[in-house]
Order: sequence, then C-alpha cells, then structure tokens
Amino acid sequence: MIKKVQRDELIVPVTFILFSIICFFLSGISFLFLAEQVSLRFIRNIILVLALIFPIMAGMGLNFAVVIGTMITQACFIIVLNFNITGGKGAGTVLIVSLAAAAGVGYIIGRLLNKVRGREMVTSIVVGFLANYIYQLIFVAGFGTVIHVFNKKLVLSTGIGVKNMVDLKTFKEVFDNLGVFSIGEAKVSMLLLAMILVCGSFVFYLMHTPLGQKIKAVGMSEEKAANIGIDTDRVRIIVIVLSTVFAALGQFVYLQNIGSLNVYTEHLDTEKFACAALLAGGASIRKAGVKNAFIGVVLLHTLFVLSPLAGRNTFANASLGEYFRSFVAYGIIAFALVVNLRLEQKEES
Amino acid sequence: MDSKIKLPQIIITVFMIALFVLAAFLDMDIPELVSGSFTKFVMNGVLVLAMIPMINAGVGMNFGLPVGIVAGLLGMCMAIQLRMTGISGFLGAVLLSVIPAVILGMVYAKILNMVKGKEDIAAIFIGYSFIPIMNFVWTVIPFTNREMLYPVGAEGLRPKISLEKYFGNVLNELLVLRIGKLSVPLGLLCAYAVVCLFVYLFFRTKSGTVMLAVGENEKFCQLSGIRIDNVRTMAIVLSTVIGAVGICVYAQTYGFVELYNAPLSHSFPAVSAILIGGCIGKRAKIFHAVLGTYLYQTIYLLSAPIANAILIPQMSEIVRMIITNGIILYAFLKQERRKQQ
Amino acid sequence: MGEYVLEVRNLEKYYGQNKVLDNVNLSVRKGEIYGLIGANGSGKSTFMNILFGNSVISGTGGYKGEILFEGKSVQIRSTTEAIRRGIGMIYQEFMLIPEMTVAENIKLTRENTKNIFGKILKHNLSFVDRKMDEKEAEGVLEQLGFEIDNTYLVKNISVNAKQFVEIAREVNREDIKLLLLDEPTAVLNDEDAGKLMRVLKELAQKGTSIIFCTHRLHEICEVCDHVTVLRDGRVVSDYEKEDLDMRTLAKDMIGYDVAAVKKQHKNQEKKEILTFQDFSVHMPGEFLDRLNLDVYQGEILGLTSLSGHGKLAAGYGVMGQFSVTGSLFCEGGKVDVKDVRKTIAKGIFLLPDDRKNMGLLLEHSVRDNIIFSGYYGRNLFQKKAGGFFPVKDKKEIERYVQEQIEKLDIKCESPDQKVKELSGGNQQKVCIARAVLVAPKILFVMEPTRGVDIGAKEKILDMLVQINREHGTTIVAASSELEELKRISDRIAVLCEGKLSCILPPEASDEEFAFAFTGEEEEDGQ
Repeated sequence: MIKKVQRDELIVPVTFILFSIICFFLSGISFLFLAEQVSLRFIRNIILVLALIFPIMAGMGLNFAVVIGTMITQACFIIVLNFNITGGKGAGTVLIVSLAAAAGVGYIIGRLLNKVRGREMVTSIVVGFLANYIYQLIFVAGFGTVIHVFNKKLVLSTGIGVKNMVDLKTFKEVFDNLGVFSIGEAKVSMLLLAMILVCGSFVFYLMHTPLGQKIKAVGMSEEKAANIGIDTDRVRIIVIVLSTVFAALGQFVYLQNIGSLNVYTEHLDTEKFACAALLAGGASIRKAGVKNAFIGVVLLHTLFVLSPLAGRNTFANASLGEYFRSFVAYGIIAFALVVNLRLEQKEES
Repeated sequence: MDSKIKLPQIIITVFMIALFVLAAFLDMDIPELVSGSFTKFVMNGVLVLAMIPMINAGVGMNFGLPVGIVAGLLGMCMAIQLRMTGISGFLGAVLLSVIPAVILGMVYAKILNMVKGKEDIAAIFIGYSFIPIMNFVWTVIPFTNREMLYPVGAEGLRPKISLEKYFGNVLNELLVLRIGKLSVPLGLLCAYAVVCLFVYLFFRTKSGTVMLAVGENEKFCQLSGIRIDNVRTMAIVLSTVIGAVGICVYAQTYGFVELYNAPLSHSFPAVSAILIGGCIGKRAKIFHAVLGTYLYQTIYLLSAPIANAILIPQMSEIVRMIITNGIILYAFLKQERRKQQ
Repeated sequence: MGEYVLEVRNLEKYYGQNKVLDNVNLSVRKGEIYGLIGANGSGKSTFMNILFGNSVISGTGGYKGEILFEGKSVQIRSTTEAIRRGIGMIYQEFMLIPEMTVAENIKLTRENTKNIFGKILKHNLSFVDRKMDEKEAEGVLEQLGFEIDNTYLVKNISVNAKQFVEIAREVNREDIKLLLLDEPTAVLNDEDAGKLMRVLKELAQKGTSIIFCTHRLHEICEVCDHVTVLRDGRVVSDYEKEDLDMRTLAKDMIGYDVAAVKKQHKNQEKKEILTFQDFSVHMPGEFLDRLNLDVYQGEILGLTSLSGHGKLAAGYGVMGQFSVTGSLFCEGGKVDVKDVRKTIAKGIFLLPDDRKNMGLLLEHSVRDNIIFSGYYGRNLFQKKAGGFFPVKDKKEIERYVQEQIEKLDIKCESPDQKVKELSGGNQQKVCIARAVLVAPKILFVMEPTRGVDIGAKEKILDMLVQINREHGTTIVAASSELEELKRISDRIAVLCEGKLSCILPPEASDEEFAFAFTGEEEEDGQ
C-alpha cells in the first residue's frame, strides 16, 4: 500500500526526467551550459514555488493568486523609483513596503477565499486576472494623471503611463557589491542566496510548529479541525498571507537578479509556471513539501531550457519546442487536477 | 430564478448610457456606433450562446470554450482549403466544423465528467493545455492553399488568414437595411435569431428538459433512472458545437481566421457576458445571453473611441477586462451566498 | 458531590419550523457522570452540539434559554470557546486527522515545544518537541489501559483503537471540566467498553463531570449517577442511580402510546422477491453491515433503527448511491446496483428521505415532478406524431396529473405551480404520485412522514397501504417513526449498529422493540 503511493508520486518526476534526457540529446548543448541555465532559473524562481506550499497544505489547492504578490513587488519598485529613492535605501524600502503590502493584500484574498470554499482555485485565478488589469490600469492610465510623476525617466513621452521597460540597476548594484559569485556569465548575489536558504528553512520549520500542525489538520479535514477547536478561517487567512508575502519576496529576488523590469509582462503566467514546477516535483493538489519544490523547479526548468533548443535542432523550428513547453506547463496542471479530483471522488464513495 | 433585471444589469446599463452620452459630447458618430453595436453583438453572440447548455446541465460555466473554437477553426481551414466561397462557403465551413466539434466535445466531456464539482478550474486548464497541442497541429498540418500558409520562411499556417476571397462578411452584407445613417444588418441578425431559436427549441425537447432537470437536481434524476453522465456529455458536446459555429460567425464578421493563441481570449468575455445578462451560473436563458452580449459588446465598442479621445488607447481593453473578471468574481461570491441560504 | 458545573435552563432550539428542543432543564454536578438517553430525533445530539458551540447551531439561528457554566451565565458561540472554557467532546464519528500519527492527534493544538529562539516566538511558532509529545501520548494511553505504538498513522489503526485515541486526546487535557461523550462505545467490544467505563469513573473521581450519551442501557445503568431521558426534544423523566432500571428506561425512551393497528395483515404465501446477501453499504454515517434479509412479495416491510444505525443505507445501496459489497437478488436474478436505470427497469424504485435535495425538482412545476420518472425513466406518455416522430402526449399527462392531484388531495393552485411553494406534506404526496406512475414492483420509501403535518401523514400512510393493496407493490418503508411502521407493516426489521438486530411482527411489545433498537439481549435486562 505504502509502496504504491510512493510510486504514484514518482510518475510525474520520472516522466520529466525521461523527456529531459531525450531533449538533452536532441538539443546538442553542453551539460555545463544546461547546469548554468538551470541553476540560474532555480535561484530566480524557487521562492515563488515555495509560496504555493502553504495553501496546498491547508487544503486550498493551488493558489494562483500568488501572482498578486509578484505584482506588488513590481509596483513597489516603480513607486520607489518614482520618488527617486535609489541604492541600498531604495532596495530596503522596496523590500519592507512590498512585504507589508503583500501581507495586507494577502489578508483580503484570504477573506475572499474563505467565502468561496471548495472553489478556491478557480477564484484565485480570476482574482489574479482582475488584479493584473487593475495593476495595468494604475501604470498605464494612473501615472501622470492621478499619480504625480517625480521621475520623468519612468513615463512615456506623452507624460501618461509608465514605460514598458524600467531599469533596476541601481538596486542590483547594491546587492552585487555585497559579494557575488557567478554562474556562467550571470552574477548572483550571496545575499539573495541567503534569502533563499532562509525561506526554504522557514517553510520546513513552520511545518514543525503547532501552527504547522494546525495547517495540516485543516488541510486534511476542515470539519474535523473545526471540531477539535481550530479556528479554520483564521488558519486559512494566515496561509494565504504567508503565501502572498513569499510571492512578493520571490519576485524581489527575481528582479534583483535580473536588474530590469518588464512592467506589463514580467509577472504574466509566473503563477502557472510555479504551479507546474511544484507538480513536476511530485507534489499533488493536496500534498506538497519543500522537497517537491526544489526537485520540481530543477526538472521543469531543465525541460524549459532544453525543449526549444531540441525543437530547433531536430525540426529546424524552435516554436515547436516552445509549444511543447507550454503544453507541458499547462498540461501538468490539468493532469494533476483530474487525477486528484478522481481520487477524492473515489475516497468519498 | 426569474429573469428580472437586477442591480448589476442596472449598473451596466447606466454605464452604457453614460458612455453613449459621453460619446455624443465627444462629437462621435452615434448612428455609426449604433450600427456597429449590432454587428459586434451578433459577432460575439453565438459564442455566448455556447455557455447555455453546459450551465443548464449543471456542468458550470464553459471556460473550455477554446475547445469548441478550435473545432470551428478546423472547419473553416478545411473550407478555405477546399476554396469554398460566399454564403454556401460559410455554411460549408459551419458544417465542416460540426464533425471535429462533436469529436472534441466527447473528449472534453469525458474529462469533465471525471472532475464533477470542479469543472471550472479543470476546463480552464483543458483550454490552456489544448492550445499548444493545436499550435503544433497548425504548424504541421498539410494544407496547401498558399493564402493560408506563412508567406516565406516559417512553416505552417499563418496566424491570421484573410477571408476576403472566401466568405468574409457574407452575413454582414446580407440584407442590410438602411434608415438614414443607421444601417441594420438584417441577415446577420436573422442568422443569430436562427441559432437562438435552435437552442430555445432544443430545451423544449425531451433531451432538453431532462438536461434542465439534471442541472437542477442531479441526485433526483439519478434516482429516476437517468444516466447523468450521458446527459452531461450531450450538453458539453452541444456547447462545443455552438462554440464552433460561434467562431465561424465571429470570423466572417471579423474577416480573418485567427489561429494559434487567439482562441484563449474568447472564453472569459463570453462567460462574463452571460453573467452580465443576469445569469448567476445555475440556470441560463437565451434572454440572459442576448441581453448580456449586447451590453458587454456595446460597452467595449463605445469605450474604445472614448479612450482614444482621452489619449490612453489601452484603457478600453483594460477596463473591459476589469469588468469581465470583476463580474465573474461577483458571480462566484453570489453563488456561494445562494448555496448557504 | 459538590456544586453544579453545568446548569441548563429552559433550553429551546428550532431547526427552521421544527422545534427540536423544548424547555430542557438539567443540572450536572461536579464529578458526576450524567447519562442522557433518547431515541432518534429526541434532541440529544442537538443538545450536545449546543454545549460544544458547534457551528451547526449558530448557522441555524442559535438557541434560546440560559446555560450556566460553573455558576456563570455563558453564551457558547464557537467550538474554540467551548474548549477554552474546559469543555471537551468525543464524537461518535471520530474527529481524528487520519494522515497524522496517534501522538500528533492526541497532542494536536496542545503540542509541547522547544524554545529554540527563546521566548520571542509564541507557542504557535515554536518548534514541536516530537519526542516529548510521543512520551506524553504514551502516558495517557497507558493510563487508559490501551497499548498502541503512537507513531502509527491514525488511518492505519483499528476502529477500536481510534476510539481510544479520541478519548485519550480529551483526557490529556489538564483543564477539562466537562466531557461530552456521544455514543463512545458504539464501536467498542465489551471488553474495551468495560475499560472505557473504568476510565470514566476515574475521571469523574478526579472531579471532571461527564455527560454520557449511549443507547447501551446496561452501560448507563452501570456508570451513571443520574440519568435523563429525552423524547421529542422534551425531558420525559429523570432518575437517580438507585432508581435505574433498564426496562423503565427503554419504555421511556420509545414512548407508550400505541395506536390501533390499522392494517389487516394478509396471510399469504411467502415468496421472496428481493434477497439481500451479505449486503454492506458504505454510506457515511449510516453504515450497513452485511445484511441478510428476504423481502416477500406483496408485503410491507418496515425497516427501522436509531439514526445512524443503517435503516436508510439499504435503500440507497440498492439504488447505487454508495459503494456496496455483497449481492442482491431480485426475483432470482442478480441486480447490478451500479446501473440505476436497469435497477429501475427491473421494477425497483425509491423515494428518498431528503426531499429537497433528492426527491423533488423544486424549481419545476407539480406536473413536471409527477410525470418526471415515468416520462424520462420509463418512456411513458409517448405518442407518435405523424406516424414515427415521438412527442409528449400532453392530453394524457394532463388527465393523469389531475387524477393524482384529486386522489392524493394535493393542495396546489394548479399543476403549473412550482413545487417549492408547496408544504412538506403536499411535496411528499407529489413524490408518491411520481412513484405510482412508475408502477414499481418494489418501492423503497425513506422516512415517508418526516416533516409532514398530521393530516397529510394519514393520507400518505393510507396511500402506501393502498399502493400495496391495489397494485400489489411490495413496499420497504424505512422510518424512525415506529408507531407508523406498526400501523402499516406486515413485518418490521430492526437494525442496530448496522446489523440486523431482529425481525418483529408489528404486534410485538414496545419493550421488545426497545431492546431490538439498542441491541441488548432481553435476558440481560432482568
């Protein structure tokens, strides 16, 4: 019985490994290049994937609303730049403000998701979309009309709307001055690495606290947890707050490392790729751990790096590889949904 | 669940009238806008009708509309390949779309029947993951009509195929009634009316009424010996077929067949249109679809020139999507409140 | 015995229009074991839920009356609050998290922690001391006299063991002042039940008060200091330990009033029409355990039990609503319960107890409801228009619907009225009209008179007898209303804990029924 469960968990990661191996040989790139690419992507994306773990533990499924956390960080970067706060002070302000704002917004999302029990996933997707367009409204139409522009470099020549591309070098330099190591041509700040380690251990630590026990209990059976005297509404809100804050932090690390911001597109689909990564690591919609996040990010991004190259090499058409890539990302979520819901139905009857 | 007009509809209607007034202030051509609103209305109307069978059978909102749309695209591409033109070309395209729609609908239904209760989220991701598969197909499909292929260099079909030489605008130009500056595309409206009538009549038949009953109370129907999964499959296939017809109507008005990622952009607007029409996601009537489509499309149509006039052209698209997603969210919350009562 | 821990005054509770608790008064002393017994719908579960702040209560409009806890008037709004005040509850269905270990379950929300980061982090964010938890959990289980490796996951341990883990969790609380037990011994064997009784006595001696709900009367007599019998939401009697007697308790519980048996029982040859063989139904909260039963052609078989003891499961199992094991034969042929359509085609039909969610199309008209199963399930009312095109025969439908409305005296404005606007009794009549149309050989009716006013009740019972007489339909009526079953049934099968307890003739005495309900042997009672 126990062996069988483990085998189920292994199916997805093993499939990923197999595909990656095939693509690796088709792509014809060096292993070193692959390792560089994957580790860089790993550092940039891992925290966002970790952010998804809490809601899954609490039985709320994949929280597609993490995308809101990433938008908050982006907004903070732009606003801080607008006030011409640069360097270390600016980066610090962004970090503090975005985490605080993410906690506040997370509370609201949590309240909202408590109202739609049983349909958290689809609601979180719609909330994410809604937030995306409100974000766009603010930066396309709000800047220069309602919001006063202090930093003329940010806005378009018409005076209204933020440019597509915003330079974040001034912040990146601060982190890069505090010690870097390089992966291939890219530089990674030690401080960012430390943040990732802290986040990873925090998730692990939290799962071994009484709060973690409560989250698990709520996730396994909300009704029973309530009858034992756990305030399930509160636990679910805490979970979403944590998730949103992690997402904000994740995007901070990501942008800090890249050094520039695509104002309107940087955050798009990040939540879906994060979900796909977690599922690739063998997580399900009801069960996920730090281990799944770490393995999953590596697996998914290996395939992401390889498949367009493999497509170009074998079919002389990179777009085929890209189609395959998006199919994998979305398909794995659809697959996980179907498999999990089927299992749940079987358990019920 | 009467079709009484409620607060959201009033707000939307008032908003629409305000936009008309604003448009008049900005010296826009009101008759042209009104004429345009008819075309826009029918152009998207059939796609919105594709929501009805699934909602009424209790399967939920058809977020997987891209499945039906892809079937329609396949049909139209075949029609272009066979160089069909004019009205008969359009009808041929519609007929050719029905076959893939039925097949894809069956597969779609099979999956949705496995995820009862969470169809919404599953349908969204079925749509998302189906598109890259189709992108693959569009790239390798062996069509030979030069006008469908990438001009030079790349392989596969081009993302935007012009229908000008085939059946573009055939319905739009059929029986256009001109009253002063106002032009009413009667042929187009009639075509829409025919599809509406078809859906209406279907829900009068035995299969239609049983579908409504399944949507209202699945357990009851099961205890009466009705095979729930079959009824749901029928509803899903029907929705998919209407979706396929819907994209044909859309494409002929638009003048282009849009392939690749385009089908994804239709599902949320269609869902929110029917919600704006007053359906809250349990029982959908044709009235909801008609009213909702008209309000939704007219707002979109009006807001575009207004946004241009105030120098922020992207505004209209953004506002439209905020309304779209806001309405869907509102419907989720409202459904939940109903359940608790 | 000292002062009162709990005093309840004039407690009243409505579920919608139904009064489920009426003027309940009782007081529990410190260190007392207080027995609470009653049949289904007597209100004892509701009473427990109120005391434990279950969300069901606040969600349905709260309660009226006063609760004094340790002398102070309190309003218990949530489970969290009840627990904070020192009330604990042990449920009949376990409130254990199956994916956690025994120790984790016992210590859940009260974990021991290590202060790695000193005192900055509150309890919720400190590191759980797993070793310490396991040690303590072991201690508690030992105290209960039950041995189990507490690192096992709860989902892998036996039902028996789960019950002890559940008890251990509550016993482990140091602050517990009042412990509520809802049928804790239902799943225990005699030996383990004995152990539990011993633990309860020890707890009481240490000063914890206990309210004990069970249907095992001998246990009540054994441990309780005071017993209250509830019936129909009212306190019918109160006994001190000295006056306890199983016979009186059983009588109080079921009630005295015996109506005249209305139906003349036919003496006919016994020919099996439906045979259950080791038929188990996994219905949550109503488990049916290996039923072996023959239903005879043309009879009315009553099926009764306390709630949660399986009377509803048989019918729903036959109609494929839950997973089943074992086999079912109808007139000699095996029935595949999964295929409901075939089952109905064989002539088996069911009217569910939950009319709103399963028995009616509330948004549809009276007419649509009456003809639904016949029209769609059995293709009645079809005529061929123009030779081959099948259409609805509207005239025939109209005639039939009118006939049924008159015959059953369904009070509605017109056949077009929506069913949701009718009263409970008239809704049930609509259901019966629907079943009549299908003309089944065997009809299962679940709780046919629940939520129905007196006048309609008579009509419905009459109708059932009439269907049985005129159409020769075999009827299996599952109901908790014993009096009504006695009036209409030829035989009454009584279930207890999911097993067939015995089959009694309707003339059997109330005592016999009471013992059958509780699964007690009559000899024990003497």
